[in-house]
Amino acid sequence: METFNVYASRLITKKEYFSPGHRACQGCAEALAVRLVAKALGQNVIVSSATGCMEIVSSPLPFTNWRVPWIHVAFENTSAVASGVEAGTKALIRKGKLPDKRTVFLGMGGDGATADIGLQSLSGAFERGHNFTYVCYDNEAYMNTGIQRSSSTPFGAATTTSPAGKLKPGQITWKKNMAEIAVAHNIPYVATTCPSYPFDLIQKVKKAASINGPAYIHILSVCPTGWRVPPNKAIWIGRLAVETGVFPLYEVENGKYRITVDVPDLKPVLDYLKPQGRFRHLTPELVDEIQERVTHEYNGLKAKTAL
Amino acid sequence: MAEMVTLSIDGREINTPAGTTILEAAKDANIYIPNLCSNEELTPYGSCRLCMVEIAQGKRARLVASCIYEVADGLEVKTNAERVLNVRKLVIELLLARNNKHPALRKIADELGVEETRFPVEQKGCILCGQCVRTCREVVGVSAIGFSGRGITRKVATPFLDFPPDCIACGSCVYVCPVQFIPMKEEKDVRTIINFDYPMQKCTKCGRYFAPIKQLEYFSKTTGLPLEHFETCVDCR
Repeated sequence: METFNVYASRLITKKEYFSPGHRACQGCAEALAVRLVAKALGQNVIVSSATGCMEIVSSPLPFTNWRVPWIHVAFENTSAVASGVEAGTKALIRKGKLPDKRTVFLGMGGDGATADIGLQSLSGAFERGHNFTYVCYDNEAYMNTGIQRSSSTPFGAATTTSPAGKLKPGQITWKKNMAEIAVAHNIPYVATTCPSYPFDLIQKVKKAASINGPAYIHILSVCPTGWRVPPNKAIWIGRLAVETGVFPLYEVENGKYRITVDVPDLKPVLDYLKPQGRFRHLTPELVDEIQERVTHEYNGLKAKTAL
Repeated sequence: MAEMVTLSIDGREINTPAGTTILEAAKDANIYIPNLCSNEELTPYGSCRLCMVEIAQGKRARLVASCIYEVADGLEVKTNAERVLNVRKLVIELLLARNNKHPALRKIADELGVEETRFPVEQKGCILCGQCVRTCREVVGVSAIGFSGRGITRKVATPFLDFPPDCIACGSCVYVCPVQFIPMKEEKDVRTIINFDYPMQKCTKCGRYFAPIKQLEYFSKTTGLPLEHFETCVDCR
């Protein structure tokens, strides 16, 4: 459904639940992703947000960008709070103190809050089977504190704590595959998406919210500041990530894989690496190594969809 | 600033600008009313009848479709009265008789406690909400599809069931349909909507097929820019 263009976008709600005026950097694709997620979920939602860029830019005291109930929680317990809110609401509904309004419970955090610090509480919430949706905005490093590496940083990327030098080519480990970790919990719905494909994103978020049980959505959000790309190229880079196979868009519904944005022939991964300043030190050998890994993982995913 | 009116919905006092509909006011106040044919971008139409509510001004209470009824001062609205629920149950049963498979309808049926329709099921798919027809007319501005027939033979169709000359193959009708009734398929250089084929434009720079040619011709006509401007895709432009 990625082929809808101009006219379909007019049919998306004009109401802003993540209002303009926030303090994100120019060209921030993460803010765009949050805005689209908020639009997809509508008004009836309770958000638990981990510390991170989106918390900092949206809630400078005494202002807030959120037009829906929003709780700021620490890195490590976002999912715990989201599941608590869900359980509490359920209990109040059972006692008749709250009307049953089909509220959506959303936990959200960056890659640090999801793949590193908050992983235990997220895993616990998945395992307990709370009816909530967790959205990870993956900008591939701790951008808010000044671009420190996380376990989600891809191989070869230079960050302030994995600088590229004579001995090391930036990050020396491969990106943690969070979506697969979520799939391994046997939860009903897991999806990856990117704000460069807004309809895909909105559809997946709506689906995740409508599903009974935990759902996990992994959103690749281009960070112009941290990735060293011009702000006007953020959407383009996001699309390149999909077209080169670095970040394939797929969904897993009850264990069944489906690629949602199909790319019949992948572009060379160099197209994606080249415009980004964080990869500019890479040698052709390292690019080949990355290409090999990307092709391997993409073929692995293709094989899973055929199952 | 528009004039504000005060009404009560389910006992809650609500302030809302004059001219909004009951459905919008309820949505803003986080009160759920099921609906299938309303879309804030389109003129209200009132065809699905799922959003029926009971209104009372003074003594007389009556049922109206909340998506086309404007708010008024002192209006008392009940969204969950027994009378309302009975009507909604009947409506969803009638809708299920046209399409008893789609999850969107099943979900509303579950909420209302309806398991199966009492009417003979004729699997038609389309529920005649008219969102596609309104989208084509109001959002896209081409009116390529419309309703044909009356009563039980009413259906969404292209003029004379033939290839629609005005259609620009944008796919908005496919997107907006609440029951995914209109099929759309894309195979490299051809986009197929219902069973009509539309050739796609190949980007002059990257060679990707990115949009239907008819749509680009329409852009060119509405914007007054030369057609060549649109023959490269957004990425390469």
